Amino acid sequence: MPTSPEAILERSDSLRREIGGDFRDRMVGALYESAQQVASRSVRETGKRKWDFDQRVDRLVTSRSLGLPIMLLLLALVFWITILGANVPSQMLANALFTVEAAAAGWFDSLGVPLWITGLLWHGMFRGLAWVVSVMLPPMAIFFPVFTILEDLGYLPRVAFNLDWLFRRAGAHGKQALTMAMGFGCNAAGVTSTRIIDSPRERLLAILTNNFVPCNGRFPTLIMLAVIFVAASFPPAVASVAAAGAVVCVVVLGIGFTLAVSWALSRSVLSGEASAFTLELPPYRRPSVLRILYTSLIDRTVFVLGRAMLTAAPAGAVIWILANVTYGERSLASLAIGWLDPLGAAIGLDGVILLAYVIAIPANEIVVPTMLMCYLGGSMMIDVATYDEIRVVLIDQHGWTLLTAVNLMLFSLLHNPCATTILTIWKETRSPRWTTLGALMPLAFAFATCFATAQAVRLLP
Amino acid sequence: MTVWGILLAAILTAAILFVPKAGLLALWNRFRSHRDRTRSEDALKHILAWRQRSGPASLESLAGSLRLSPSTVLHLATRLETAGWIQCGAAGIELTPAGERRALQVVRAHRLWERHLADDANMPIGRLHQAAERAEHSLTVSQVARLDAHLGHPQHDPHGDPIPSADGRVASLNAVCLNDWPVDMPGRIAHIEDEPDAVFRRILAAGLRPSQVVRVVEAHDASLRMQVEDAECVIDRALAINIHVSSARRDDLYPADAARLSDMRQGDSGEIIGMGPECTGFSRRRLLDLGLTPGASVQVVLDNTFGDPRAFRVRGTTIALRREQAEHVWVRPRESAARMEVSR
Repeated sequence: MPTSPEAILERSDSLRREIGGDFRDRMVGALYESAQQVASRSVRETGKRKWDFDQRVDRLVTSRSLGLPIMLLLLALVFWITILGANVPSQMLANALFTVEAAAAGWFDSLGVPLWITGLLWHGMFRGLAWVVSVMLPPMAIFFPVFTILEDLGYLPRVAFNLDWLFRRAGAHGKQALTMAMGFGCNAAGVTSTRIIDSPRERLLAILTNNFVPCNGRFPTLIMLAVIFVAASFPPAVASVAAAGAVVCVVVLGIGFTLAVSWALSRSVLSGEASAFTLELPPYRRPSVLRILYTSLIDRTVFVLGRAMLTAAPAGAVIWILANVTYGERSLASLAIGWLDPLGAAIGLDGVILLAYVIAIPANEIVVPTMLMCYLGGSMMIDVATYDEIRVVLIDQHGWTLLTAVNLMLFSLLHNPCATTILTIWKETRSPRWTTLGALMPLAFAFATCFATAQAVRLLP
Repeated sequence: MTVWGILLAAILTAAILFVPKAGLLALWNRFRSHRDRTRSEDALKHILAWRQRSGPASLESLAGSLRLSPSTVLHLATRLETAGWIQCGAAGIELTPAGERRALQVVRAHRLWERHLADDANMPIGRLHQAAERAEHSLTVSQVARLDAHLGHPQHDPHGDPIPSADGRVASLNAVCLNDWPVDMPGRIAHIEDEPDAVFRRILAAGLRPSQVVRVVEAHDASLRMQVEDAECVIDRALAINIHVSSARRDDLYPADAARLSDMRQGDSGEIIGMGPECTGFSRRRLLDLGLTPGASVQVVLDNTFGDPRAFRVRGTTIALRREQAEHVWVRPRESAARMEVSR
């Protein structure tokens, strides 16, 4: 027997040469064999009815004729419930929080606190926070539990099974369909949900491309633009269909970008990352509602909301400072808009929109209010009550065209992820390289695409 | 105002040029040192390969292999000689012991990287060489050591070439050229030479892969007819020069009734015989972990509207596999219950 460390290492080295390549196979085989022996002694199987039922359901939800319709119907149902259910609470929450803001600001004034402190604290930070919470919280509190019910039922892996063909061609995993669906709720939650993909390369693909799915902070912008610009250029009878069609087109474009970028990444920068496909189809089961409420409210909603609030408050402060601090005759905001205007014009947008997107890096929900604030020269973020009023501001007063609207939709779809999502990418990958790529690659796509459409439209007669 | 502007521009230009690590000058230096390292290492590899094949290398062979001009090669050779890595003698260029160690380190990095790309990243075998040619010049010795440990100290690269150990020992290839292999005797492909690229590609196109068990069915003057797994192929003897075979047992060949899991139809079931050797590393471990071990029974339970993936029942769970995975799993089919009813 060898005794010195060198001799032991020497011996292990020589044994390694003799052991052959298939020792792993034999090892796993032996483990399964003994597990099988233990199981056959102690586990008795009774009945096959559950398994027959599972198989019947599986055949139905993956069938040629009904598989995809069932999937689209369920997804549409989830969105419909979310939009329908979120409207009223969102409005109530906004009213309540803005009442608090007004009352607190009034109280501060009566105490004689300097105006700038009141403004920064309440009209800046608190207002930014209130805006993000009221827009974000209700849809997430509805979307996540409903989505989790589908997950708990065992249905979602079947969606990945049905759609894998699409993702396989892009070098990605079928489960990316699920992380994308989660991204409709919130990209940060979508990035976290990529943990279900257990292969490193496919997971990175899902993380880096999740941003091409518009989240619920960007949907209101898309819907507003579709209603004001696209619907207006169609006869009233089909206007709402045209608006919905425009939003669907944007979403489909986003999915197209996801697949194309996944394809390109998996063949270039990610080609050296580890990759293997596995997809388990677990048995169907009754969802446990309490656990769902817990996981979706605590793990997803509160978690994402917390991170968003952390970034929204400073953003609110920055917005207030930009609108209220003046240099010479003009506010910082209008100076910045002046600098950004040429760049904005080159990509078919304008300085105000770019400034709004710079400020709205923490949360996309505040893009439109910030834009309106700048256009109307206000001192805080503004909500305009109806689409008609917005139409007057944008088209009549600030010369927006259909090109501006289309490019803003594209920009909103493709631009860099919000700070919360970037932070989440960092937490999930712990890699400065992937975080930078995940943040800057979409921005480059947004600029390139908008520049191309703007130039194309201007070249056309 | 103008003076300040010019001063600012000058400082900015100087910064862009001279900032350590990120300035243009630093980038240029880094590019040059990487290019020099690539050239020296390629030169050492070339001299090592020539010595093993035909004898000492020369300046001409070096210039041809590295595609460099004669004056550049001369410069390179002088640099390598000054560094003590090569010795230019009457017979040609020889490696010094230090140069040989360095050359073997590069070969080791190359083959380990190929192993990594094949095992972890599932890269097709035809693309490995090019990727490793680039990577071998940027890996450090400690990175290579970590890679070796991570991969479980592999002995061969995906083509079957032995991987030199950290202290520069190289195992010899224990295999016979396919042209000299007896007819009808099962043999395992131990090595397929990956250079020249055109020959390698034609061998791959014929369906041959390292580690497959093959049998020469008929030997002709210019070609060999062979059984490869469940297919037959004809390969030119000129290509067979680059293939080496070692002995295999007769039961390493798949039995005549064996089928690929991917070829079974919905409802069919069978017993797993084993997994093909082309499925390596991470992908193979995943399939094993799912319970696809020899002896386990498996049934096709769900077809897919779009063909891929399909779901299989193994060890009480339902798992979906893509065609590219299922085709590596060999199964001895059982007459399915449904079909037996039909035949009755």
